[in-house]
Amino acid sequence: MLRSLLTVSALELRTRVRDRTALIIAIIVPVAMATLFGVALGGDDPPLRATVGIVDQDGGEFPAGVRREVLASTELSGVLTLRDLPGREQAQRALDAGDIGAAIIFPAGFSDSVGAGEGGRVGVLTSADTPLAGVVANAVVDRISSLVRARTLAVRASLEAGVPAAEVKEFVERNGAAGPALTLENDPMAGGRVDLSVYYGAGMAALFAFFVVGASFRSLLIERKQGTLDRMRAGPIHGWVPIAGKAVVGFALAMVSVCVTWGSSVLIFGSTWGDPVAVFTLLLAHVLAATAITMLVASRARTDAQADGVIMVISFVAAFFGGSLVPLYTLPDVLQTIALFTPNAWTTTGLTGLAGSGAGLASVALPIGVLLAIAVAAFGLAATGFRKGLLG
Amino acid sequence: MTSTLTCENLSKTYGGVVAVRDVGFTVAPGEAYGLLGPNGAGKTTTISMLVGLLKPDTGTVVVGGADLAADPMAAKAKIGYVPQEIALYPDLTGRENLRFFCRLFGLPRREVRARVEEVLDLVGLADRADAKLDTYSGGMKRRINIGAALLHRPELLILDEPTVGVDPQSRKSILDGLERLVADGMALIYTSHYMEEVERICSRVAIIDHGSIVAEGTRHELVELVGGADRIELTLDGDVETALAKLRGLGGVTEAVRTSAASVRLIAEGGRYLLPSVISTVDGIAAVTAVEVVEPDLEATFLHLTGSTLRD
Repeated sequence: MLRSLLTVSALELRTRVRDRTALIIAIIVPVAMATLFGVALGGDDPPLRATVGIVDQDGGEFPAGVRREVLASTELSGVLTLRDLPGREQAQRALDAGDIGAAIIFPAGFSDSVGAGEGGRVGVLTSADTPLAGVVANAVVDRISSLVRARTLAVRASLEAGVPAAEVKEFVERNGAAGPALTLENDPMAGGRVDLSVYYGAGMAALFAFFVVGASFRSLLIERKQGTLDRMRAGPIHGWVPIAGKAVVGFALAMVSVCVTWGSSVLIFGSTWGDPVAVFTLLLAHVLAATAITMLVASRARTDAQADGVIMVISFVAAFFGGSLVPLYTLPDVLQTIALFTPNAWTTTGLTGLAGSGAGLASVALPIGVLLAIAVAAFGLAATGFRKGLLG
Repeated sequence: MTSTLTCENLSKTYGGVVAVRDVGFTVAPGEAYGLLGPNGAGKTTTISMLVGLLKPDTGTVVVGGADLAADPMAAKAKIGYVPQEIALYPDLTGRENLRFFCRLFGLPRREVRARVEEVLDLVGLADRADAKLDTYSGGMKRRINIGAALLHRPELLILDEPTVGVDPQSRKSILDGLERLVADGMALIYTSHYMEEVERICSRVAIIDHGSIVAEGTRHELVELVGGADRIELTLDGDVETALAKLRGLGGVTEAVRTSAASVRLIAEGGRYLLPSVISTVDGIAAVTAVEVVEPDLEATFLHLTGSTLRD
């Protein structure tokens, strides 16, 4: 059984080496991708070196909370600078002049209004020239908005319950019903400190793994067309041998491909991907998931051309929703939820987390677990598909 | 004598359509068994079940004492399968193709080289063994296609249209080789559209139609089924359809079919004596430009049993 499997794998590898696809997809393209992203995007994420203006016409707890959190954050220290500005017009002029990347405007009476259960509105000024700084400002405001909603709800409930309006603020704070305190977390998916060459390099590696594995399963369907698959299956070998033999080569070449992307990025551009054991394990889990998904497609496809098309669509959809092509934090909430169903999102999240934090294997246990679950589910469905089709 | 192959009650249905129904036969060592049928009759489905590519809905296949369902590895080790298409790798040489299938089918490493050379000699391609397959002629490809099925020394060789698109010289070479294998004791199942090949190679023939075996026996036994009738091939110039209708009503004619725009085939008892009546029947409707009378053969039997010619 093992010898037969290795014989199929050896022929597949030899074919891929002979037609140079192995060299192109496992070495040249990954090095090219790492080089491209290293040259184009190497260095720290630009928006976090930007300055965000604060117009504090309120003088209350919310603008104070923003200042306090930014100053207290070790992750944002020296990266994000706040500049106080007296009014909206001054903020707009500073933005137009490029002195700040975005501005947050707290109107007068904002904190009092929220404290009275009447909500409030915070303004944000952004510029098309500094989109990612705008993302940071919007992220801060999003967090303020959730606090405002929680505080407003608590105040209204207290008023309904008969707490006097003059005492409601103190009542809410004393009973801990004001919602969580304002915190600015380091979240790479939402614009944290990430080397963009690592972010996009990881994304491209995640995307390309699908193509690399897909090529092996495409060759399985070509063998079905040319009759060699039936000839193999009519021989004294287990029906799974040709499938497993192809899968092994696809998996191995995809691992080489993602590892070469990683190695090139580190060795040529000195990028930091984080703990090597954790990175390797995460890449391994991603390639397993990609192998299982492309195997599932091959198990249901009628022709190699159909499999090619479907794998292409799945790869790009997973890459888009999974943050391989555009940063996840730029997507609307609903798309970020959809992203959770793609292996790319978990891989990209895990890798950027490792790159940005210096954490180890334990920190990516969840992404690895999800990727393995995706792999197991897809392998199971593929096995059913092959039993009904190719091996039926 | 113990059979090399015994299959019983093989049936396969696809979405309510019966492809094969209760097919069963045996093949003894050193026997060549022909499987004939028009396109869509169920030959390929039957062969696919015999080689383990398709699971039958019902029935059993036993090869050399091994049940294909219960012990597929043992059964398949005794089967050599030659598919209709050239099921080999065009980018590899002939020798590389054979070496691959030797290893895949588990021949001991030390035997691979010798066995590949033996098979190359057997199919007469030792001198072209290191050329890529896509440089081979059609006949050479067919020969190496057969060779790949012989590598693991099967007891039963199943050939599905092994001479399609082959020049006469290569066809002769292939048929000579198959006759030698049968003489050496190998069992053979052979399907072909070339009736003369089946008549030459096979000692027993089954005719399959609409998924069932409609007749089985030696060539002589099958020919007897048409009652010693002759086959008359007519080429006509004129109103062929009207002539055909008239001929169908002629006493002694048991079958009459149009085989081309200007050709008609008749099956008739004592056909050679009926010839003057045939010519007078079509007189004034069509002129007889050529005529051939053939004594009873498998082709006539096939036509009699299935209502169509083998190449329809």
